[in-house]
Formats: sequence, C-alpha cells, structure tokens
Amino acid sequence: MEFKQLVINNSDSIVQKWMEEIDSLKDSNYTATISDELYESTNREFVNVIFTSIRNEGSTKAVEDFSEKIINLGWPLSYITDGLQIFRRVSTEYLLTQSEKVDSNFFTNLSASVNDWVEPLIRELVNEYSGSWEHIVSLQRVALQELSAPLIPVMEGITIMPLIGTIDTERAKLIMENLLEGAIKHNSEVVLIDITGVPVVDTMVAHHIIQAAEAVRLIGATCILVGIRPEIAQTIVNLGIDLSNFPTKSSLKKGFSTALEITGRHVTDLNVKENNIEKMMDSLRGE
Amino acid sequence: MRIPILKLHNYLLISIQTEIDDQTAIQFQEDLLDKIHKSGASGVVIDLTSVEIIDSFIAKVLGDVVSMSDLMGAKVVLTGIQPAVAMTLIDLGIHLKNVPTALDLEQGLIKLQQELGV
Repeated sequence: MEFKQLVINNSDSIVQKWMEEIDSLKDSNYTATISDELYESTNREFVNVIFTSIRNEGSTKAVEDFSEKIINLGWPLSYITDGLQIFRRVSTEYLLTQSEKVDSNFFTNLSASVNDWVEPLIRELVNEYSGSWEHIVSLQRVALQELSAPLIPVMEGITIMPLIGTIDTERAKLIMENLLEGAIKHNSEVVLIDITGVPVVDTMVAHHIIQAAEAVRLIGATCILVGIRPEIAQTIVNLGIDLSNFPTKSSLKKGFSTALEITGRHVTDLNVKENNIEKMMDSLRGE
Repeated sequence: MRIPILKLHNYLLISIQTEIDDQTAIQFQEDLLDKIHKSGASGVVIDLTSVEIIDSFIAKVLGDVVSMSDLMGAKVVLTGIQPAVAMTLIDLGIHLKNVPTALDLEQGLIKLQQELGV
C-alpha cells in the first residue's frame, strides 16, 4: 500500500520522467507523423488515465474512454504497450531511489505491487484493441460474404454467376444456395457459372462446382461452366476430374451463345446504322 | 393416403402436396403405373414444388418410377424441386442421373413436348 501512496504523492516527478522517455520514442517510432502538440496532449491524457486507474483500483470508465479515443484516432497498439512498460520501469526505478535499504524481499514486494497496477491496465487496453479488430474483421467477413456469390439475371431465362477468388467449403455452400434460390427466383432455364476469376481449381473446388451443377440440374435448369482457362483445363484433366456431364465453354461469350441456343434464341444484326449512312450518302449525292 | 393422378389430354399430372412416407410412395408407384396402362398416356409430370423433404428411399422410388414409366412408353419429368431438397439429394449422393427435370409445371410440359417430338 505504501508504494502506491508514494507513487501517487510523487506523481509529478514520475510523470515528468515518463514524458521524457516516451518523447524519446517519438522520432524513432510509428508516431513520427503525429504533430508534437497532439503527441504531448495524448501523452498527458494517457498518464492521467494511468494515475486515475491506480488511484481508483481499476476504474474502467476513464480507461474505456481513452482507449476508444485512441482506437478511433488509429494509434497503434504498440504506443499503449510501450507507454505502460515505460511507466512500469519508471515507477519501479523511482521507488528504488526513494528507499534506503534494498534487499531481494523488498524488491519482490515492490515489483509485485507495481505489476498489480499495471497489468490490469495492459489487459484491458489490449482487450479493447483486439475487440475493435475482431469487430472490423467480422464486418469485413459479412461484406465479403455479400460479394462472394453474386447472381446476375441478364436475360429472361438466363442467369450468370461470376466467381472471383478462391473457393472454400463455406463459400461453395453459399454459392450453391444462391445459385439454386436465384435460379428459381428468376425462373432461369440456363445458369452460367463463370470461373475466369478463380485462380486455382483443385479437386475440392471442382467437386463443389460439380455438386452445384448437379443440384441445378435437379431443380430443372441447365448449368454451363464458362471461363475455363488453359491452365485450369490442364489441371482438371491431370487431376482426372470428370466434367463431361455438363457443358463447359472457354469464355462467357461462347457460353452465352450456347445459353441462347438452349433457350431457343439467337442474335440478329439489325443493320440499321449502315442503312442510315447509305441513305445519307444517297441524299447527299442527290443534291 | 393416396396421391391423386390427373389426366390431361395425353399427359398425366401429379402434384405431390404432402410429405410422402414409404407406404404412400409405394402405393403411388403402383397407382401411376396402373394409370399409365389404363390411359395410355405418353407423358407424365410429377410436380414436387410443395415437397420440403425427400429422403433416400423416396428418391429411389422416384428414380424407379421414372425408369418403369419409360419401359411402359411414358416419359416422366420431375418439376419444382426445391433448392434445399436438391442440396440434400446431392449431399446424399443421389444424382437422379437419368431423370429429366424442369423448373415448373409449364416448363415441364414444354420439355415433355420436346422429348416426345410433338
């Protein structure tokens, strides 16, 4: 207890030393881009939070507010850990200089007591940081999921699913669900799966795609696999994967014309533009 | 309980509205083959839009019915298989390879017409 009182009573000199130490970190460190005034004021706030926490035995409100502010400003976690390590060192050194007789017993007590104040703080601040990171990761996962299996109805009865990036089991499941729901919702006779953007097709990915195609056939639509690049074709054959059960095409363009054939349509040029130009030329000649 | 089989011109229409148990499935198989024999229908559409669960036995019966009807000269098309059902079947390894499918009743009838060359 007396160590604590000693530190609180002599907070001014400890703070001063702490400020010096952390200032020396500034240039060599991450915070080099932050203005001196901001750095100074944040340091003051930080050290105030530390002392508030020591005085109140872990008052969490001030710590929470401070960490929230620091996280919002985008300061690195190492600033917090460095600051607290420095504080631990500075206060230990200060307490050692204040006492006349130092034996190992005394030192153990002192160190335990300083750790008692500092460790909960470190734990809490690191928790706040990792909590915010986890939150961001979960947000990004949701965003990624929304982007991972898009379905585009391009024409009556024809739907395209462009896939980009690697496919894992979780994503494959999502792809299958979206594909089937979408095919029914848009009443699609033909569904094109475009794998131009899938970097690697191994047995697992192929298996998932085949399953999806089979399921699409069960609900009564046709599945065409498009965008098979030369290297993908080589891998598929080398791995002995049998894709002969459903049509495959090298490009979306070819796949689309197959889809048009299946739905009983074809593309006709209207030649309107050319005719117009000829008419214009004729009228010019006539004048 | 028995599943009603409707006759429309040259076709038979079956809409399965309830969960089918094994007994019903077998009964249905017999009824359908009888009906094909009596009516001389050349096409059959089995609509599964309201079916939420198909287990491996029902799937087998459906596959058998298709092959049997084929033998009797009637083409069968399964329509309206729900996404969840399709996924379960694929997971179970039931691919119903020789069974023609269509999105809904309308598409099913069109498919039948195409296959029968009418």
